[in-house]
Amino acid sequence: MSETTREPDARRLATEARDRVRFEEEALALADQVYRVARHLVGNREEAEDLVQETYARAFRSWRSFTPGTNLRAWLLRILTNLNIDRGRRIQRQPDQQPLEEGDYFLYNRLEETTDGVPDEDRVVQRLSQNDVVNALSEVPHDFRDVVVLVDIGDFTYADAAQILDIPVGTVMSRLHRGRRILKQAMAESAVGSET
Amino acid sequence: MCNCDECEQWMQPYMDRVLTDAERAEAETHLDDCAYCRKRYRFEEHLRQFVQQSVIEPMPAELKQKLAELRTPLL
Repeated sequence: MSETTREPDARRLATEARDRVRFEEEALALADQVYRVARHLVGNREEAEDLVQETYARAFRSWRSFTPGTNLRAWLLRILTNLNIDRGRRIQRQPDQQPLEEGDYFLYNRLEETTDGVPDEDRVVQRLSQNDVVNALSEVPHDFRDVVVLVDIGDFTYADAAQILDIPVGTVMSRLHRGRRILKQAMAESAVGSET
Repeated sequence: MCNCDECEQWMQPYMDRVLTDAERAEAETHLDDCAYCRKRYRFEEHLRQFVQQSVIEPMPAELKQKLAELRTPLL
């Protein structure tokens, strides 16, 4: 092989190594955010840790299929949700089996009527504890919870969530709508009980 | 102008900024005029922040270390 062919090869390899290192650094910088979402997509911390590790192992292997300039966080979450489904961790439920949920003002009204004195919105939200939220979230059925976790906790747009979960944007919107209401009902039950 | 039922329906899309300009203007007019809905709107804003803060769980340091070890070694 002559000098003239070796040199471009060496340059190409150096460029590729640099791109890969950059990719890995950018992916690792997002690990906290990926973990935060994973932690609430699956049932417990150990599963979330396994899933995040598998996600990064796969991402580092297939880094060439990431298109630079697109949303890396969404790309990582797409891998993570696919792995989650592949591993059969999810028990799919039919949305039709879910009871009809209350309206959007339900949680406020429920908390307000059980708050002493003249309640304002600050005092009403203080009726909720961190545990109320965490417990309630774990009670939301998977299909709804995935969307609520991605949009409300992961700060993904509807379009990103649709791409990550491979469902239409309209489905994201309807699941988000119902998921938030189911979450509120569960928070109300956790905070003030289900009896009227 | 929308009524309280419509305002309740629009509350989440309004907060997600996905209403049309016309719907948004209607919702804002209603919120300006209606203390009942305004109070619930403020609650929803607080609630979203509270939910986000409540679920934050720092990533374990060992996991961060394990992820760094998955990187491709430099030749």
